[in-house]
Amino acid sequence: MLILDLTVQGLVQGAIYALIALGLTLVYGLLRILHVAHAALFTLGAYLGVIITNQTGSFALALVVAMVVVGVVGIGIYRFAYKPMLSQPPLVALIASIGLFIASEEIYRLVFGAYSISFTDPPLQTQVEILPGISLSYARLMVVGIALVFLSVLGWLSASTRTGIAWRATVTDPDMARSCGINIENVRYLNFFIGSALAAAAGVMVALLNNQVEPTMGAVPSYKALAIIVMGGLGSVRGTLAASLALGVIEAFGTIYIGHLLDRDAIAFAFLILVLMIRPQGLLAKG
Amino acid sequence: MAYEITLLTTMAIAILFALSLNVITGFCGQVSLGHAAFFGIGAYTAALLTKAGVPLAIALLPAGAMAGAIGFVVGMASLRVRHDFLAITTMGVTFLFVGFVRKQQALGGEVGISGIPQVAFGRPGLLALALVCVVLFVLVALHIRRSWMGFAFDSIADDEDTARILGIDVIRFKLWAFVIGTAGAGVAGGLYAHHIRFIGPDSFGFVESVTVLAMVIIGGIGSIWGVALAAAFLSVMPLWFQFIDDYKLLLYGALLFTTMRFAPDGIAGLAGRIAARFAR
Amino acid sequence: MSFKLHAITLAAGFALSALTAPVLAEPIKIGFNVPLTGFAAADGNSALMGAQLAVDQVNGAGGINGDMLELVVYDDQASPKEAAPLAVKLTTQDEVVAGISGSYSGSTRAAATIFQENSTPYISAYAIHPDITRAGDYVFRTSFMGEVQGRAGAKLIGEMLGLKRVVVITLNNDFGTSLAAGFKEKAADFGIEIVAEYEYSIKDREFGPIVSSIKADAPDAIYASGYFFTAGPLVRQLRAAGVTATVVGQEGYDGQKFIEIAGPDAEGVIITTSLDRDSTDPVVTSFMAGFAAKAGYPADMVGASGHTAVLVMAEAMRQAGATDKAALRDALAATTLDAATGHISFNGLGEVRKDVQVQIVKDGGWHHYTVISDPVLLAPPEQ
Repeated sequence: MLILDLTVQGLVQGAIYALIALGLTLVYGLLRILHVAHAALFTLGAYLGVIITNQTGSFALALVVAMVVVGVVGIGIYRFAYKPMLSQPPLVALIASIGLFIASEEIYRLVFGAYSISFTDPPLQTQVEILPGISLSYARLMVVGIALVFLSVLGWLSASTRTGIAWRATVTDPDMARSCGINIENVRYLNFFIGSALAAAAGVMVALLNNQVEPTMGAVPSYKALAIIVMGGLGSVRGTLAASLALGVIEAFGTIYIGHLLDRDAIAFAFLILVLMIRPQGLLAKG
Repeated sequence: MAYEITLLTTMAIAILFALSLNVITGFCGQVSLGHAAFFGIGAYTAALLTKAGVPLAIALLPAGAMAGAIGFVVGMASLRVRHDFLAITTMGVTFLFVGFVRKQQALGGEVGISGIPQVAFGRPGLLALALVCVVLFVLVALHIRRSWMGFAFDSIADDEDTARILGIDVIRFKLWAFVIGTAGAGVAGGLYAHHIRFIGPDSFGFVESVTVLAMVIIGGIGSIWGVALAAAFLSVMPLWFQFIDDYKLLLYGALLFTTMRFAPDGIAGLAGRIAARFAR
Repeated sequence: MSFKLHAITLAAGFALSALTAPVLAEPIKIGFNVPLTGFAAADGNSALMGAQLAVDQVNGAGGINGDMLELVVYDDQASPKEAAPLAVKLTTQDEVVAGISGSYSGSTRAAATIFQENSTPYISAYAIHPDITRAGDYVFRTSFMGEVQGRAGAKLIGEMLGLKRVVVITLNNDFGTSLAAGFKEKAADFGIEIVAEYEYSIKDREFGPIVSSIKADAPDAIYASGYFFTAGPLVRQLRAAGVTATVVGQEGYDGQKFIEIAGPDAEGVIITTSLDRDSTDPVVTSFMAGFAAKAGYPADMVGASGHTAVLVMAEAMRQAGATDKAALRDALAATTLDAATGHISFNGLGEVRKDVQVQIVKDGGWHHYTVISDPVLLAPPEQ
């Protein structure tokens, strides 16, 4: 049934958006920075994923390595780019982040070439029928699975572990957290590590789904993820998830039924503006 | 000579475009990531009019008016959301504009509008017209800064809630900022259409909005001469730096980053600090 | 030796060399605007390779009556805003005698205005915007207009393949919309029923919703416009979902990259294009060998187009010399040449008249399928 099929497609796309936007919302929640350069890490993850898989033949290894390496790079971005700018108005960090992103796209082009690179033998391609008439490849199922897993882990981490509580305290009130003996810097490092690793995972999965890694593949996520985290309520993990899934479904139906009136991005932003006009703080913002 | 005139015209148009955003974001503190849409509205309006025979100098007025009218509508969004939310909402405006225009056959659709007529007196004529517009807008900006409106803008930019408590009609002034700023962008867009003489939906997207915002911030938010200087430089940078060829965009990104890292208050701020050091 | 003898020997030496040495000529400068950075860098790179190969070949064979060709290359980032000032620079400061565009439609259209304004001959190598040649009589195009190729697609699917129920997927840009317009214009003539139409943005790589809808439509064929970086994922996703309809594309797919991205799913995809890889014509084979050697990857349509444009310009220069731009323009209008992308000749508007090559993916490579030779159907507009 087409309606069901479109909904499933939309949810899968939403899961991809969620993976990318989660890291962004983590950074925003902590530092109030619109971390556009997050999309550069997404692309880096994709490149590493393809290159390592092609070299070693192991997709699992590539995924893990990509996440770890990019996580570390993310910490580096915080340490050398954002930290010195924390006292500046947020527009400064936004422009700096955009500059980083543009520079990264160019670096990827210069290092990896302007042409896209692909898996020589893409894994997880077999289709499996999940509902009558609707089949998804293992790759697509994995995206949804990964998104669910990471979300649950994040949720559990922040609620039930000391690290998580320290993280939440730092988000709420950094000075108070510091005086309670929490090492703010470590919390921030962890935050960037996790967020960036998630972006890398998203990159690897998208590379798998499209079998194509290009220097400019981060362009759409760079602004779309921003729209999603705003829609969800800046800093709210659950809001980001809700907004991601909603956007995925809206885009799926929108591009088919009103694609002749507005293109995909316009549909996405029309939805965003609609949400914000009704609820200016975002879908699931904390009041 | 022709090449120099072309470069100067590019700079003049960029200066006008950036100064117009400076009124909204610099003077009044309302972040707008959608300014390219108004540039585009002006460009399309002017192009359609001149193709129908209206001389450019006259066509610029409806171009600015149209942009200002839509700017009023978008300005209403700024009454509902602020700061980061406003930034993203205005970003949406660019995508809506582009997404809408590319579907309208009357506006050329994907193919755009080509064969936009040459201005009377050719390229030097266009440069003269552009310079006149820049000078007029600078005068307007200077006047605003010294007037009550400028004071209101300043206090809104500083602390909106306090401004409201002090009795400043925040709504009215925010809308004024948007109208003046977007109208200026519309005029710049009209000039642009006659400079390149071909416009299409892809010329007015998110990248252009970011570029003009970068000009304002690198120039030093609120500073008229700083923003003008930054706009002039950044608009012709790709042309001057053709010799570094492959590394142009990389340099641009690096420039944005390092400026924000080491001189976040922009050229104006940097100059201010140097002047202060000499004053001692 | 005495000083006087030195001097005489030296003078004699100079005189001798002056008499026997070839006159050191100024190179013939051809402007070339091409995207080398930004989203279109891959195609720009190919176009430059093809053009440079042609220049090397011409110079290697003695140049134009002894004078060497030289490309003055500028990166326009496929942006009209960058291309226009560059065109001014080329025509006024660099004083090129002619120009070639290795860039996309928008930038080419903007630059064409400038070249026309400065009465400098300009060839668009592969940009398809309909108004490019309408900039004036100094502007020519060696590749198909979108509408023309679209019409060829209709004949290919409706008549030659005999498939009637077609879904049209259109890329949202001038390339896609002009192809779709040409296709739809002639679809009924060949008995085609357009079952459904879908559109997508050049930034899209995920086509889940469209694929699902097409599965429900169950067409015989799919006419999909796009470039290798959109068509590759699209075809993969179509096949993965079990859609077996024949996919017909256009020259945007043309390149090894498409096959690399789509993998085994590329088999059987058919495109209308200008390069016949199975051609035995020495012009084509020497181009393909030369390109692969120079670029390090197999030839594609964009590279072939750049190559053709330079050779056409060189041929016109041989006829009319490379100093009088008006004479060069007239020579161009009258040029006929066999190049890698076919037999080139121009109509009154400066549009090329040539056959459409149809290629198919077989055994992991592009191969000859058929040729569409229908001068009436393929006639470009005269104004």
